[in-house]
Amino acid sequence: MSAALLTLTGIAKSYHDGAPVHALLPTDLRVDEGDYVSVTGPSGAGKSTLLNVLGLLDLPTEGSYEVAGVETVRAAESLRVAIRGQWFGFVFQSFALLAGRTAVENVELGMLYRAIPARRRRALAMAALDRVRLAHRAHADPRTLSGGERQRVAIARAIAASPRVLFCDEPTGNLDSGNTDNILDLIGDLHADGQTVVVVTHDSKVARRGVRHVHVADGIVREAPAAQRHQRGR
Amino acid sequence: MGRAELGLDRPRLTVADLLREAWLSLAGHPARSLLTALGTVLGAAAFVATLGLSSTLAHQVADSFDVRRATEVTARGARADAPSWQEPSALARLGRLNGVRVCGARVILPERPVSRSLGEGATPLQTQVSGVDAGALAVISPRVVLGRAFDSYHDTDAQPVVMLPAAVARGLGVHRVGVAVFIEDRPYTVIGIFDDVARRPEALVSVLVPYAVAQPMAALSSGEVKRDVVIETEPGAAQLVGAQAALALAPEDPARVEVVVPPDPRTLRQEIEGSVARLALVLSLVALGIGTVSIGNAATAGIVARTAEIGLRRAVGARPRHIFSQLIAETTLLGTLGGFLGAVGGIVITVVVALANGWQPVVDVTTALSATAAGAGAGLLAGLLPAWRATRIQPVVAIAR
Ligand SMILES: Nc1ncnc2c1ncn2[C@@H]1O[C@H](COP(=O)(O)OP(=O)(O)O)[C@@H](O)[C@H]1O
Ligand SMILES: [Mg+2]
Repeated sequence: MSAALLTLTGIAKSYHDGAPVHALLPTDLRVDEGDYVSVTGPSGAGKSTLLNVLGLLDLPTEGSYEVAGVETVRAAESLRVAIRGQWFGFVFQSFALLAGRTAVENVELGMLYRAIPARRRRALAMAALDRVRLAHRAHADPRTLSGGERQRVAIARAIAASPRVLFCDEPTGNLDSGNTDNILDLIGDLHADGQTVVVVTHDSKVARRGVRHVHVADGIVREAPAAQRHQRGR
Repeated sequence: MGRAELGLDRPRLTVADLLREAWLSLAGHPARSLLTALGTVLGAAAFVATLGLSSTLAHQVADSFDVRRATEVTARGARADAPSWQEPSALARLGRLNGVRVCGARVILPERPVSRSLGEGATPLQTQVSGVDAGALAVISPRVVLGRAFDSYHDTDAQPVVMLPAAVARGLGVHRVGVAVFIEDRPYTVIGIFDDVARRPEALVSVLVPYAVAQPMAALSSGEVKRDVVIETEPGAAQLVGAQAALALAPEDPARVEVVVPPDPRTLRQEIEGSVARLALVLSLVALGIGTVSIGNAATAGIVARTAEIGLRRAVGARPRHIFSQLIAETTLLGTLGGFLGAVGGIVITVVVALANGWQPVVDVTTALSATAAGAGAGLLAGLLPAWRATRIQPVVAIAR
């Protein structure tokens, strides 16, 4: 059995602007090395909230969250910044690429705040673009790229420095079905090479690619039974 | 502690990366950057052009200042009394002063009739008559176009001779020397005609006679007689001579003598530069304020537009201090570039205006450098608040957008 990489214990999140919203009710969840977890559920269910807490983009209001055995909720912000920047990679629905910079410069940005020399960042960025089959567009302005190509640049940015976990929030939300398959194949390949992946989606077609299936509804997180998991074997 | 356990590096941003990021952000949005820096550009241009044009003008004033007039000092009686200060001994004391080249006495008589002939048909001209000794004549230096000037013989022997300004000679119909003209009813021989003077331009409308000839005329004159001592100094010695002339001419009572010196070209230049520099300072403080506010406003507005970008940077591992430094670097860089561009613009304005007027442009590098530095300061100051605000942006907004 592989080592626990991420461990949520009694994690909950509520918002308090106006009437309190319990976006996430107390949750236990464990993500292991090499997992491919897909998180599904209707809109407003709390999927993004769960991913933000897992990715250390946001703090929970209660509970404890350990990364490789190190508690993060009550730790210094600088520790969360370091884990987020060096262990995690993020892919967002909106691509979040910077205009006015080439594709490879956007990929490099993912490694900017780390002790990686500029030349090595360029080499890693080019390798990552090659991995997503976009080496030939390395110096293109993202505004001239198609949606699918932009998301591949974003994936290259997330994986360039080999993160321990790749978090994707609705990675295909802005793509047509052809590009969606393309991106899902790419994520599947990464997982096959050992990448730990957590994908949030409201699309069951996307969710089906996952190995583990977590369902969120009204802030309640439930993992689908193992039996369902094995269906994917086919 | 936790970082070491997980084998994580300390998040960091090198200065080279910081500057590169700031530059990419500015260069990636040229229109936004230009608009943000506009206030600083205009402010710096106004500063450099104002100072540049004022130095150019001051230089011009000092340059075109009449060098002859600047060596001219005049002493006259403060009261109507016996002119002991015009006597040869007084003039000799004055002549020994350092910086005095030549000096002499003058007596200026009120206008009186001067004519070519006496009797019927004569048309006298009402003309001022001045008695000048050899020294005063040397100071005035008339340009003789016909005949000759007086010499010491004419003066000491009180010879009845005159020198006529060309305009008076024409008016009287005198076209050669050796003929007589009448002042009141006494004849004088015309020995010279002059058309210009080096000093004392009022001599151009005055009939000149030897000092000794004018003395008895003054004694009989009914109108106001003016007396003075005219001095030509060494270049640059006018102020010094002016300060000592009264004492040299009237040692027993210097207050009897009033001395007129030309304005000091250096003082004049400093006065112009001083007043324009004060104006420029006020102008540039206002411009600097406008520049700071405009960068500050644009940067604050930019933070809202860049929320997603800042969230992304935080998501990929930027600490709040990295966000702060980058935004400060951006506004400072923008202020510096704006200041530099404005300084260049100001120099261009100075040179173009100067050349268009045929002046020698005076451009001060220090002014251009301080305009650039002021731009940098404005950028830094303007960035503080928006940069601090940007550090409040949470990484989660990278997903929310
Ligand atoms: N910043 C916030 N402030 C207040 N309520 C929020 C905020 N973010 C999310 N919520 C609420 O929390 C709930 C879960 O949101 P989210 O996790 O984004 O849902 P999902 O990603 O499943 O669509 C929703 O009801 C949403 O309105
Ligand atoms: Mg969501």
